[in-house]
Amino acid sequence: MLHDAPQVLIALEQSAFASAVRASTWGYMTANVGHILALMLFVSSVAVMDARLIGAFAATPPASVVRPARRLAALGLVLMAGTGFTLFAAEATHVATNPVFQIKLALIVAGILNALLAGRLLRKALDHTPAFTPLPAAARLLGVLSLLIWFATAACGRLIAYF
Amino acid sequence: MLKMLALLGLGLALPTAVIAHHGWGSYDAAHPITVAGPIETLKYENPHALITVKGADKVWTVTLAPTSRMQARGAPPEFVAVGKLVSAFGYPSTVEKAEMRAERITIDGKTVELR
Repeated sequence: MLHDAPQVLIALEQSAFASAVRASTWGYMTANVGHILALMLFVSSVAVMDARLIGAFAATPPASVVRPARRLAALGLVLMAGTGFTLFAAEATHVATNPVFQIKLALIVAGILNALLAGRLLRKALDHTPAFTPLPAAARLLGVLSLLIWFATAACGRLIAYF
Repeated sequence: MLKMLALLGLGLALPTAVIAHHGWGSYDAAHPITVAGPIETLKYENPHALITVKGADKVWTVTLAPTSRMQARGAPPEFVAVGKLVSAFGYPSTVEKAEMRAERITIDGKTVELR
């Protein structure tokens, strides 16, 4: 533990929950595996959603792909947050001060803001665009941005261990 | 845009770079060391078990392996109990003083590979 870390991080790392995660043979491992499985669900849904926004699967009405994919992605994100928090709590002081983790957090915020923005900006276009009709240019831009942000987030997640 | 992102990353990274988390990259694999002495403390915890060892020159923190791997390789908590004499071969941290990660440890004549 880093003793000069902010008090809230020290408290989290010393909490009964975090101690149990470290002490148990299965806790950390399960959260770690769960985080990867949640990532598979999350990123596959995001990829389908963004591919449709960018113009793939043109034979489908965009709303019929984007909306269910977005719900699955939201479920994946919630599972990622739960498993991620467990991993974070076990080593809160070290992880929070890791520069790559800080970049990852900023990317997650950017990714969520981008998704919320896309939800607002594209609602009407999704409602009214039939199959074989391009979405507005904003859809392509937001889709590409989303892919870039989330792939960078995943890369940072893996890189925490190396910095 | 890219410049802005880079600046953002740099701005976030700089204040904390000095107390950065020690990843596997920050161990000097080119200069392995052996630390031998009695085990003073044991944290049999995840993500990595830790022992402190009273070496010839100073007390070293020796990072071991996840507890599940320790169990699987024949190193349960009793094996690395406080007071036992250990010889740890591994790599010194380039970030934290007196910390190393162990490639293998030998206790009571038994060697356990940790990687």
